[in-house]
Amino acid sequence: MMAAAEYSPLTTHVLNTGDGVPAARMALSLHRLDSKLMIWSMLSVGTTNTDGRCPGLIGREAFSPGMYKLRFETGSYWESLGQTSFYPYVEVVFTISDREQRFHLPLLMSRFSYSTYRGS
Amino acid sequence: MSANRLHQLKGHILPENKATAMGSPSPLTTHVLNTAMGVPGSNMALSLYRQDPSTNAWSLITSGATNDDGRCPGLITKQMFTPGVYKMHFDTAQYWESMGENSFYPYVEIVFTIIDPGQKYHVPLLLSRFSYSTYRGS
Repeated sequence: MMAAAEYSPLTTHVLNTGDGVPAARMALSLHRLDSKLMIWSMLSVGTTNTDGRCPGLIGREAFSPGMYKLRFETGSYWESLGQTSFYPYVEVVFTISDREQRFHLPLLMSRFSYSTYRGS
Repeated sequence: MSANRLHQLKGHILPENKATAMGSPSPLTTHVLNTAMGVPGSNMALSLYRQDPSTNAWSLITSGATNDDGRCPGLITKQMFTPGVYKMHFDTAQYWESMGENSFYPYVEIVFTIIDPGQKYHVPLLLSRFSYSTYRGS
Protein backbone atom coordinates (compact mmCIF):
# COMPACT_ATOMS: atom_id res chain seq x y z
CA MET A 1 0.00 0.00 0.00
CA MET A 2 1.16 3.56 -0.64
CA ALA A 3 1.50 6.42 1.83
CA ALA A 4 -1.66 8.51 1.96
CA ALA A 5 -0.04 11.66 0.54
CA GLU A 6 1.38 9.92 -2.53
CA TYR A 7 -0.68 9.75 -5.69
CA SER A 8 -0.35 6.99 -8.23
CA PRO A 9 0.91 8.26 -11.61
CA LEU A 10 -1.46 5.70 -13.11
CA THR A 11 -5.17 5.96 -12.38
CA THR A 12 -8.31 4.36 -13.72
CA HIS A 13 -12.06 4.98 -13.55
CA VAL A 14 -14.60 2.33 -14.43
CA LEU A 15 -18.04 3.45 -15.58
CA ASN A 16 -21.00 1.16 -16.05
CA THR A 17 -22.50 2.84 -19.13
CA GLY A 18 -25.34 0.33 -19.24
CA ASP A 19 -26.74 1.62 -15.96
CA GLY A 20 -25.20 5.09 -15.93
CA VAL A 21 -23.30 4.55 -12.68
CA PRO A 22 -19.69 4.09 -11.57
CA ALA A 23 -18.73 0.43 -11.51
CA ALA A 24 -18.14 -0.12 -7.83
CA ARG A 25 -16.49 -3.15 -6.25
CA MET A 26 -14.92 -4.38 -9.47
CA ALA A 27 -11.71 -6.33 -8.99
CA LEU A 28 -8.77 -5.30 -11.10
CA SER A 29 -5.04 -5.90 -11.29
CA LEU A 30 -1.98 -4.19 -12.74
CA HIS A 31 0.78 -6.18 -14.41
CA ARG A 32 4.12 -5.34 -16.00
CA LEU A 33 5.74 -7.36 -18.76
CA ASP A 34 9.23 -8.64 -18.00
CA SER A 35 10.74 -7.99 -21.42
CA LYS A 36 13.58 -10.51 -20.95
CA LEU A 37 11.47 -13.44 -19.75
CA MET A 38 8.38 -12.31 -21.71
CA ILE A 39 6.08 -13.03 -18.82
CA TRP A 40 3.65 -10.81 -16.96
CA SER A 41 4.17 -10.13 -13.29
CA MET A 42 1.39 -8.77 -11.15
CA LEU A 43 2.22 -5.46 -9.45
CA SER A 44 -0.98 -4.72 -7.57
CA VAL A 45 -4.52 -5.93 -7.07
CA GLY A 46 -7.42 -3.79 -6.04
CA THR A 47 -11.13 -3.17 -6.14
CA THR A 48 -12.88 -0.07 -7.38
CA ASN A 49 -14.52 2.12 -4.74
CA THR A 50 -18.08 3.45 -4.89
CA ASP A 51 -16.90 6.06 -7.41
CA GLY A 52 -15.44 3.38 -9.69
CA ARG A 53 -11.88 4.43 -8.90
CA CYS A 54 -8.94 2.53 -7.46
CA PRO A 55 -6.35 4.82 -5.85
CA GLY A 56 -2.85 3.66 -5.13
CA LEU A 57 -2.32 1.41 -8.16
CA ILE A 58 1.43 2.02 -8.31
CA GLY A 59 4.07 4.26 -6.78
CA ARG A 60 6.15 6.65 -8.82
CA GLU A 61 9.42 4.77 -8.18
CA ALA A 62 7.95 1.47 -9.34
CA PHE A 63 6.50 3.08 -12.48
CA SER A 64 9.39 2.34 -14.84
CA PRO A 65 9.06 2.50 -18.63
CA GLY A 66 7.74 -0.68 -20.16
CA MET A 67 4.64 -2.58 -21.18
CA TYR A 68 1.79 -2.73 -18.68
CA LYS A 69 -1.57 -4.41 -18.51
CA LEU A 70 -4.65 -3.45 -16.54
CA ARG A 71 -7.00 -6.37 -16.13
CA PHE A 72 -10.61 -5.65 -15.15
CA GLU A 73 -12.78 -8.49 -13.82
CA THR A 74 -15.83 -7.29 -15.72
CA GLY A 75 -17.44 -10.74 -16.00
CA SER A 76 -17.46 -11.19 -12.21
CA TYR A 77 -18.82 -7.68 -11.84
CA TRP A 78 -21.85 -8.35 -14.05
CA GLU A 79 -22.36 -11.74 -12.37
CA SER A 80 -22.54 -10.04 -8.98
CA LEU A 81 -25.39 -7.98 -10.45
CA GLY A 82 -27.11 -11.15 -11.62
CA GLN A 83 -26.32 -10.54 -15.29
CA THR A 84 -24.36 -12.15 -18.08
CA SER A 85 -21.90 -10.31 -20.27
CA PHE A 86 -20.18 -10.84 -23.60
CA TYR A 87 -16.68 -10.35 -22.18
CA PRO A 88 -15.36 -12.56 -19.32
CA TYR A 89 -12.81 -9.84 -18.51
CA VAL A 90 -11.15 -6.84 -20.15
CA GLU A 91 -7.40 -6.40 -20.45
CA VAL A 92 -5.91 -3.13 -21.64
CA VAL A 93 -2.25 -3.38 -22.63
CA PHE A 94 -0.31 -0.12 -22.93
CA THR A 95 3.22 1.24 -23.24
CA ILE A 96 4.77 3.69 -20.79
CA SER A 97 7.80 5.50 -22.15
CA ASP A 98 7.78 8.64 -19.98
CA ARG A 99 7.34 7.88 -16.27
CA GLU A 100 7.08 11.59 -15.42
CA GLN A 101 3.69 11.94 -17.02
CA ARG A 102 0.38 10.99 -15.50
CA PHE A 103 -1.70 8.36 -17.16
CA HIS A 104 -5.45 7.99 -16.71
CA LEU A 105 -6.96 4.85 -18.20
CA PRO A 106 -10.73 4.85 -17.85
CA LEU A 107 -12.91 1.94 -18.86
CA LEU A 108 -16.43 2.68 -20.00
CA MET A 109 -18.35 -0.53 -20.24
CA SER A 110 -21.73 -2.18 -20.59
CA ARG A 111 -22.60 -5.87 -20.87
CA PHE A 112 -21.97 -5.82 -24.64
CA SER A 113 -19.45 -3.02 -25.24
CA TYR A 114 -16.48 -1.21 -23.80
CA SER A 115 -14.12 1.60 -24.61
CA THR A 116 -10.95 3.03 -23.18
CA TYR A 117 -8.73 6.00 -23.89
CA ARG A 118 -5.65 7.68 -22.59
CA GLY A 119 -6.91 10.52 -20.44
CA SER A 120 -5.45 13.01 -18.00
CA MET B 1 -30.48 -4.81 -67.00
CA SER B 2 -27.07 -4.72 -68.68
CA ALA B 3 -24.52 -7.50 -68.11
CA ASN B 4 -22.22 -4.89 -66.63
CA ARG B 5 -24.78 -3.72 -64.10
CA LEU B 6 -25.67 -7.31 -63.17
CA HIS B 7 -21.99 -8.05 -62.57
CA GLN B 8 -21.74 -4.94 -60.36
CA LEU B 9 -24.71 -6.04 -58.27
CA LYS B 10 -23.30 -9.55 -57.87
CA GLY B 11 -20.12 -8.06 -56.48
CA HIS B 12 -22.11 -6.36 -53.72
CA ILE B 13 -24.10 -9.45 -52.76
CA LEU B 14 -21.72 -12.41 -52.84
CA PRO B 15 -19.48 -12.47 -49.77
CA GLU B 16 -15.79 -12.99 -50.39
CA ASN B 17 -14.88 -15.86 -48.14
CA LYS B 18 -11.59 -17.68 -48.24
CA ALA B 19 -12.16 -20.23 -45.47
CA THR B 20 -15.41 -21.82 -46.55
CA ALA B 21 -15.44 -23.68 -49.83
CA MET B 22 -19.20 -24.17 -49.57
CA GLY B 23 -19.67 -20.41 -49.62
CA SER B 24 -21.28 -19.83 -46.20
CA PRO B 25 -19.91 -16.75 -44.51
CA SER B 26 -18.08 -16.81 -41.19
CA PRO B 27 -20.47 -16.62 -38.19
CA LEU B 28 -17.87 -14.35 -36.58
CA THR B 29 -16.86 -11.13 -38.28
CA THR B 30 -14.87 -8.05 -37.43
CA HIS B 31 -14.42 -4.54 -38.82
CA VAL B 32 -11.56 -2.25 -37.92
CA LEU B 33 -12.15 1.48 -38.18
CA ASN B 34 -9.46 4.13 -37.81
CA THR B 35 -11.58 6.76 -36.09
CA ALA B 36 -8.74 9.26 -35.97
CA MET B 37 -8.56 9.47 -39.73
CA GLY B 38 -12.11 8.45 -40.60
CA VAL B 39 -11.03 5.48 -42.70
CA PRO B 40 -11.17 1.69 -42.44
CA GLY B 41 -8.20 0.16 -40.63
CA SER B 42 -6.83 -1.71 -43.61
CA ASN B 43 -3.90 -4.15 -43.77
CA MET B 44 -3.92 -4.70 -40.01
CA ALA B 45 -2.67 -8.10 -38.91
CA LEU B 46 -5.01 -9.98 -36.61
CA SER B 47 -5.56 -13.46 -35.22
CA LEU B 48 -8.36 -15.47 -33.65
CA TYR B 49 -7.81 -17.88 -30.75
CA ARG B 50 -10.00 -20.25 -28.78
CA GLN B 51 -9.29 -21.11 -25.17
CA ASP B 52 -8.97 -24.77 -24.17
CA PRO B 53 -11.36 -25.03 -21.19
CA SER B 54 -9.26 -27.65 -19.36
CA THR B 55 -5.80 -26.10 -19.74
CA ASN B 56 -6.78 -22.43 -20.28
CA ALA B 57 -4.23 -22.37 -23.10
CA TRP B 58 -5.04 -20.41 -26.25
CA SER B 59 -4.95 -22.17 -29.60
CA LEU B 60 -4.71 -20.26 -32.84
CA ILE B 61 -7.66 -20.68 -35.19
CA THR B 62 -6.89 -18.13 -37.91
CA SER B 63 -4.44 -15.41 -38.62
CA GLY B 64 -4.85 -12.87 -41.33
CA ALA B 65 -5.10 -9.20 -42.07
CA THR B 66 -7.88 -6.75 -42.74
CA ASN B 67 -8.67 -5.88 -46.33
CA ASP B 68 -9.08 -2.37 -47.79
CA ASP B 69 -12.46 -2.09 -46.10
CA GLY B 70 -11.02 -3.03 -42.68
CA ARG B 71 -12.73 -6.42 -42.75
CA CYS B 72 -11.36 -9.96 -42.61
CA PRO B 73 -13.72 -12.49 -44.18
CA GLY B 74 -13.38 -16.18 -43.42
CA LEU B 75 -12.36 -15.92 -39.77
CA ILE B 76 -13.93 -19.23 -38.83
CA THR B 77 -16.22 -21.88 -40.27
CA LYS B 78 -19.60 -22.81 -38.83
CA GLN B 79 -18.25 -26.27 -37.96
CA MET B 80 -15.34 -24.91 -35.97
CA PHE B 81 -17.40 -22.26 -34.20
CA THR B 82 -18.18 -24.18 -31.01
CA PRO B 83 -19.22 -22.59 -27.69
CA GLY B 84 -16.30 -21.30 -25.68
CA VAL B 85 -14.06 -18.37 -24.89
CA TYR B 86 -12.42 -16.70 -27.88
CA LYS B 87 -9.85 -13.96 -28.30
CA MET B 88 -9.27 -11.57 -31.20
CA HIS B 89 -5.75 -10.12 -31.28
CA PHE B 90 -5.18 -6.97 -33.35
CA ASP B 91 -1.64 -5.79 -34.17
CA THR B 92 -2.53 -2.15 -33.69
CA ALA B 93 0.95 -0.71 -32.93
CA GLN B 94 2.33 -2.32 -36.07
CA TYR B 95 -0.53 -0.71 -37.98
CA TRP B 96 0.27 2.78 -36.68
CA GLU B 97 4.00 2.23 -37.16
CA SER B 98 3.44 1.38 -40.80
CA MET B 99 2.05 4.91 -41.09
CA GLY B 100 5.01 6.38 -39.23
CA GLU B 101 3.14 6.97 -35.97
CA ASN B 102 3.44 5.72 -32.42
CA SER B 103 0.51 4.70 -30.27
CA PHE B 104 -0.36 3.99 -26.68
CA TYR B 105 -1.33 0.33 -27.13
CA PRO B 106 1.15 -2.29 -28.44
CA TYR B 107 -1.83 -4.45 -29.42
CA VAL B 108 -5.50 -4.88 -28.62
CA GLU B 109 -6.99 -8.14 -27.45
CA ILE B 110 -10.71 -8.65 -27.09
CA VAL B 111 -11.81 -11.75 -25.18
CA PHE B 112 -15.41 -12.83 -25.51
CA THR B 113 -17.69 -15.74 -24.67
CA ILE B 114 -19.74 -17.60 -27.26
CA ILE B 115 -22.65 -19.45 -25.73
CA ASP B 116 -24.90 -19.86 -28.79
CA PRO B 117 -22.82 -20.44 -31.94
CA GLY B 118 -26.00 -20.44 -34.01
CA GLN B 119 -26.06 -16.65 -33.81
CA LYS B 120 -23.93 -14.22 -35.77
CA TYR B 121 -21.34 -12.23 -33.90
CA HIS B 122 -19.75 -9.01 -35.11
CA VAL B 123 -16.78 -7.80 -33.04
CA PRO B 124 -15.66 -4.44 -34.47
CA LEU B 125 -12.71 -2.38 -33.29
CA LEU B 126 -12.85 1.39 -33.51
CA LEU B 127 -9.49 2.89 -32.76
CA SER B 128 -7.20 5.87 -32.72
CA ARG B 129 -3.63 6.09 -31.44
CA PHE B 130 -4.85 6.77 -27.89
CA SER B 131 -8.27 5.13 -27.64
CA TYR B 132 -10.31 2.17 -28.75
CA SER B 133 -13.75 0.70 -28.36
CA THR B 134 -15.60 -2.45 -29.26
CA TYR B 135 -19.13 -3.75 -29.01
CA ARG B 136 -21.15 -6.80 -29.88
CA GLY B 137 -22.74 -5.96 -33.21
CA SER B 138 -24.76 -7.75 -35.83
